[in-house]
Amino acid sequence: MGNSNEYYSNRKETLKVRISFLIIFSLALVIFYSFYLYSIQVISGDKYRERARDVARRVSVIPTLRGEIFDRHYDIPLVTNVNSFAVDIIPAEIDFSRFDDIAAQLADILEINKNDILSRVTPRMRHQFAPVEIRNNIEYEKILVLAENIVRFPGVVWRSKPIRRHQGPGSLSHVVGYVGRITREELQILHNQGYTHNSILGKMGIEREYDLILRGRDGVRHSTVDARGRKVGDARRVIPPVIGQNLVLTIDRHIQELSEKALGERIGSVVVMRPSTGEILAMVSYPWFDPNRLYSNAGSQYFAALSADTRFPFLNRTIQAAYAPASAFKIFMTAAILEEEVFSPRQRIECRGRIFLGDRFFHCHRRTGHGFLDLSSAHAESCNIYYFIVGREHLGIDNIVKYTRRFGFGQRTGIDIPGEVSGFVPSPEWKLATLNVPWVGGDTFNFSIGQGFLDVTPLQMANAVSMVVNEGVSFVPRLLKEIRDPVTGKVIEPFEPRVLYQTNMRRETFQKTKSTMRDVVTRGTARVVVTTRATEVAGKTGTGEVGDDRSSWFAAFAPYRTDNPAEQVVVVVMVEARNEWEWWAPKAANVIFHGIFTNQTFEEVVACLNVWYLR
Amino acid sequence: MNVRANQNFDFLILISVILLIVIGISFIYSSSITSTGAKVSNEFVKQIIWAAIGLVLMLTIILIDYKTLESFAVYIFFISIFLLVVTLLFGETVNGSRRWLGIMGFGIQASEFAKITTIIMLGTFYVKNSRNMTKISTLFKGALIVLLPVVLIILQPDMGTALVYIPIFLAMSFTAGAKVKHIMYIALVGLLSIILIIVPVWFEFIYSGNEAVISFFVNDKFYNTIFISALAIFAISLLGYFLTKKKYDYYYYFAYFSSIIAISVIGAIIARKILRGYQLIRLVVFLNPDIDPRGAGWHIRQSINAIGSGGIFGKGFLNGTQSRLRFLPQQSTDFIFSIIAEEIGFLGCLLIFFLFFVIIIRGYMISMSAKDLFGTNLASGISTMILVHFMINVGMAIGVMPITGIPLFFLSYGGSALWTAMISAALLINISYRRL
Repeated sequence: MGNSNEYYSNRKETLKVRISFLIIFSLALVIFYSFYLYSIQVISGDKYRERARDVARRVSVIPTLRGEIFDRHYDIPLVTNVNSFAVDIIPAEIDFSRFDDIAAQLADILEINKNDILSRVTPRMRHQFAPVEIRNNIEYEKILVLAENIVRFPGVVWRSKPIRRHQGPGSLSHVVGYVGRITREELQILHNQGYTHNSILGKMGIEREYDLILRGRDGVRHSTVDARGRKVGDARRVIPPVIGQNLVLTIDRHIQELSEKALGERIGSVVVMRPSTGEILAMVSYPWFDPNRLYSNAGSQYFAALSADTRFPFLNRTIQAAYAPASAFKIFMTAAILEEEVFSPRQRIECRGRIFLGDRFFHCHRRTGHGFLDLSSAHAESCNIYYFIVGREHLGIDNIVKYTRRFGFGQRTGIDIPGEVSGFVPSPEWKLATLNVPWVGGDTFNFSIGQGFLDVTPLQMANAVSMVVNEGVSFVPRLLKEIRDPVTGKVIEPFEPRVLYQTNMRRETFQKTKSTMRDVVTRGTARVVVTTRATEVAGKTGTGEVGDDRSSWFAAFAPYRTDNPAEQVVVVVMVEARNEWEWWAPKAANVIFHGIFTNQTFEEVVACLNVWYLR
Repeated sequence: MNVRANQNFDFLILISVILLIVIGISFIYSSSITSTGAKVSNEFVKQIIWAAIGLVLMLTIILIDYKTLESFAVYIFFISIFLLVVTLLFGETVNGSRRWLGIMGFGIQASEFAKITTIIMLGTFYVKNSRNMTKISTLFKGALIVLLPVVLIILQPDMGTALVYIPIFLAMSFTAGAKVKHIMYIALVGLLSIILIIVPVWFEFIYSGNEAVISFFVNDKFYNTIFISALAIFAISLLGYFLTKKKYDYYYYFAYFSSIIAISVIGAIIARKILRGYQLIRLVVFLNPDIDPRGAGWHIRQSINAIGSGGIFGKGFLNGTQSRLRFLPQQSTDFIFSIIAEEIGFLGCLLIFFLFFVIIIRGYMISMSAKDLFGTNLASGISTMILVHFMINVGMAIGVMPITGIPLFFLSYGGSALWTAMISAALLINISYRRL
């Protein structure tokens, strides 16, 4: 030891130098830190003071409630909000060493998969105070269980998260639509209307069209919060939320349900409309979907399944699908013939079952022929030959196109839900311009019986029939009856019928057209199936041929004679060719008319009518 | 006690230590008060109790001649190593690592005390080998002594605490008379390893430029390229050194630096294997807190917000909003400096810096004037330990150092750290008191 001390004294100089070096290093460090501190505390102090305030100042959203949607009776909402809960985890408050265990217990209570929790909250988030939603749509009962055991789950919180609940007839899915989180693309369009990236947006139907009315406005609470988001002190400024307004639809849920069941599981659609106002009483498109399932936890899988379904359940076939109207088009041909007076209604034409034109035969649906027919019989029997000849030789293609347009085909009706298509009305100019083929007599033949290039939507058909019923005027079809205040229930904005088309065609034309439509039911093609005695039905059947399959139309109204036009309804049923052929459209219409005019449900109608095809 | 001894009694250190502890307790109290005035913890009461016991401990240590430690150094050292092993085996797991040893309801952090015992052990070892300090083998054996606790602490895992040992080792070897060349070698390997760990992470998370550049640095190719070229240069210069007749200096320096690079690459690769993703991010997040604004970046941001908003004079005791609202994480332990800076401002911080500076500078001066080599080694190791804690903890709070959870001595809440700090200060006073 003594030696080492000797040695030590020899090296005292070295030690001095080295210790001085360490002291200088320490001094440099303290000076550097002092200057650094000076720069953040004194030079940039204001900036950090502001940030410190901002970090504690929280603008929290007080969520509003979306307006409810009622049918025309304004008693039970078709769409309402139900209280559902979302469970969040605040990762910073979770004990990650026991997280696996906590997740397992939590999953047990919420009856979900443990891995759902583990995949959403990872140890990487361990310092995060922003809550992470692990599950929504949790029932009140499960939240009760969670609340009883909350001491076991520090860092687990829940909040009310109302979801839409559809409780009307299932077939209203297309009319009412559904809501979902706004997409980036939608936000780009809507951002200046007050939407944010957190907004819930109507995606279809009424929810989409009237989103701005339904959504209300979120309230805002300015408050000071601590790091855990807990409010401290008084809420300094609160802007209360404005609850979304309630919508009352023109839909009659009883008629909707009746129509839904009358159509059954057949791909197709039904429109029930009040011609005197344009109000839609029922609008069914099959297949429909269940919006409640879209809001469920398996919503995205359901959405994917619906999107992949080749029957296109998201398609509202009443307005988004256009078909050849087939013989139902003869209603408007008849009106045109009568109005133009190009061919006497009493003059008869012989139907031999087929007619030769150009290089081929055109057939009537009855191959043996109808014999001699005047206009009313031709309409009742739906004779193609009569309309071929009168259409081509007497009315002419230009008149046909003119009248087709006059009844509103080829143009959107302007119904108040998005996505409507315009259908298509061909013309010789169009054919030459786009197909580079001249219009031939066969095209006129086809047009005359509603085949060929002509495409119409079921709603256009209903609207055109309304024009006949109203004798020259039709109204914009509407689904919204009125907007009501969510609190007082007072009507804020009532529905006023708006004229869509008005023609100066003669009243007699329409009266005669209506009587020919009545003939279809009394002595024509629909005689055997339209059996209701509850009202006088007038209409026109149509059978479209798509390859070897046949689609079925029935466009009708009732009552045929009335002193009160307000009680009249137009029913259009369209059953696609994809279904097994059973000539269903007039049968469904029969049920619907009977149900409407006897105030019966589908089941009662079935019992009451007692016809073979319903057994 | 004679007159001479009284003159030697280092009141400056004692006063600084007591002032710092009082400030620490005040702000631990401050950190426990929420904005509504509710007291959410009793940490400050515990800290008072520890400080009181600590004072008794200090007095006891000052009374016993530090030289007796030299003869017990091996036993003390291996007791602390034993405790580290016990901690590893039976310790309580907190936040995923075993750092605490529960004894009769108290948690003991053996890794804190082990710093002192290691310093004592290394100091003793260097006294025994004082004639051989210029030999590389001495340095190597010294490194093995330090490596023992370091490995045990890394296994807990507690990177931050383990890291503190390295500068202590370097500084002690430095003052004990090792060759600068050798110390530089180790220091450069350590520094370069850290840089090499950070570079790929920096390119992965912060750099926003050419994709090709990123993929080069993030890929293992980056390490391979450096390693192979370093190894090649090393081999060539070694060949040159031994084959040429004239021993050119630059062959030696080429070999010196290329081997540093090669070893650093290996170190970096091993570290990247050991470190977990979030630990890697913590290493670079201080360079840009935005890359992890909800995780590690959160701490840095809140800490800087709190410190910056303190201004010149601070918001006043118990008036800090960031801590009141509990935006500061671990505000009584790792981030105690932030709360202090927020409430007493720049001028208050200068006082804190001054108190630390006094202890550290006095410590180094004691090292210089100690009556024997053991005292020199001890004082240099202790001063460096306090310096490193100050540098890393304050640096982390103001955002110039990576986040490593090590306490700020004397101020941070925690019995083990406080006692370690107080024992250290007592040893400094002890050495000073017994100098010639």
